[in-house]
Amino acid sequence: MIKWSIIFDNLPFLVAGAWTTLALTVVSMIFATVAGLLVGLMNMFGGKVIGAITRVYIEAIRGTPALLLILIVYYALPTIGLNLPRFPAAVVSLAVCYAAYIAEVFRAAVESIPKGQSEAAFSLGMNRAQALRHVILPQTFRRVLPPLANEFAALIKDTSLVSVIAMQDLLFNAKIIGARTANFLSPLIGAALIYLIMTTPVMQWSRNLEKKVE
Amino acid sequence: MAGGMTMSQGKLLVVEELHKSFGSLEVIKGVSFDMDCKERLVVMGPSGSGKSTLVRCINWIEPPSAGRVTFDGKLVESGKYDIRRLREDIGMVFQQFNVFPHLTALQNVALGPLVVKKTARKAAEAEAMELLAKVGLSHRADYKPGQMSGGEQQRVAIARALAMHPKLMLFDEPTSSIDVELIHEVLDVMVRLAGEGMAMIVVTHEMGFAKEVADRVIFMDQGLIIESGTPSEVFEHPQQERTQSFLSKVLLA
Repeated sequence: MIKWSIIFDNLPFLVAGAWTTLALTVVSMIFATVAGLLVGLMNMFGGKVIGAITRVYIEAIRGTPALLLILIVYYALPTIGLNLPRFPAAVVSLAVCYAAYIAEVFRAAVESIPKGQSEAAFSLGMNRAQALRHVILPQTFRRVLPPLANEFAALIKDTSLVSVIAMQDLLFNAKIIGARTANFLSPLIGAALIYLIMTTPVMQWSRNLEKKVE
Repeated sequence: MAGGMTMSQGKLLVVEELHKSFGSLEVIKGVSFDMDCKERLVVMGPSGSGKSTLVRCINWIEPPSAGRVTFDGKLVESGKYDIRRLREDIGMVFQQFNVFPHLTALQNVALGPLVVKKTARKAAEAEAMELLAKVGLSHRADYKPGQMSGGEQQRVAIARALAMHPKLMLFDEPTSSIDVELIHEVLDVMVRLAGEGMAMIVVTHEMGFAKEVADRVIFMDQGLIIESGTPSEVFEHPQQERTQSFLSKVLLA
């Protein structure tokens, strides 16, 4: 049975974990967005070779579990001399993972801009980079926000995977409380509620943005 | 073609044996024509005749599959006469306007000079204001395309093209997507432009405009020019049966 007292008594510990979750999400999301934009642009405009390389990267990431990537970065990279502490290792693996998804978000947004827009830019004498910077990307910006917010909400949840490398995030701390009190249900429900508090506003924001874009 | 160089003397545009294919579909099957500075050309023909594609080939929005284009005495060839320089010198107005929806009318018009010619912002915006006045849209300078009618958007598009000081303007069915009662707004601007001596190629079915403005009408069918002449020659005494049947349909519509 749920014992609310367990949740309340350990709330500071859960909240501390939630802060780690949030910090991890925000930092990873920033890196993933920048990298995703670059990968997306390279995939669309980088030519045949770079296009193919980025495509392989995107498909490889999308076809394998994020958990696997976290394990590779934290446990396997040290064997080739690349020893990352927990937080950077978690950020790197989540960013590398989400960059692939976000690259696809940017690609879909750029492709949704009518061809006439780039034709008009070219007809003025702009080169491809100028057309992208001044005509295409400013228009994709609004279209990209709702799906990016969705990715952000998904990332909040996926950060829980880093408990596998003993990062003290929300889920990890909940499990510790469970073990200590011999009551797993209460702290896990508490963690679930805190995840919901974090994800619900983001998803609602995404929905509102989507309505605005339409 | 041996006479190619002499042909291009003094001509603004010389198109020789232009072909364009999309995959196995040949849309333009060897079109040649030339035009003088200040000349006004109207291109007509049934849908699928290749008239839009022809105009889009002239500034390489659709790269031609074969043939030669000489603009302002310079042979256009990928690599030699820079395609981007060509596009700076040729303004284009599209059927779907293609104004930039994230920018105001003023920003739309100023963007080309700002980005391509590196004009200072103040100068670019001052000229954009003048051009908006010229197309009758001073009062819409701060409006975005979404807040404007089709006729207004198309006039913004015309001002945007003029901002680059082109030597030739291409109009690809500029009034086909505009509500009938607003078409005259756009045509009025084009007539005034023609009066100022702007060279233009206009793909349109507007017979009235062609009669008033065109020096020459080119009639296309199935990827070829089948007839050309002054508006009165083509409209009143069409030589080809296909021209006659097309004109009778347009006049009935």
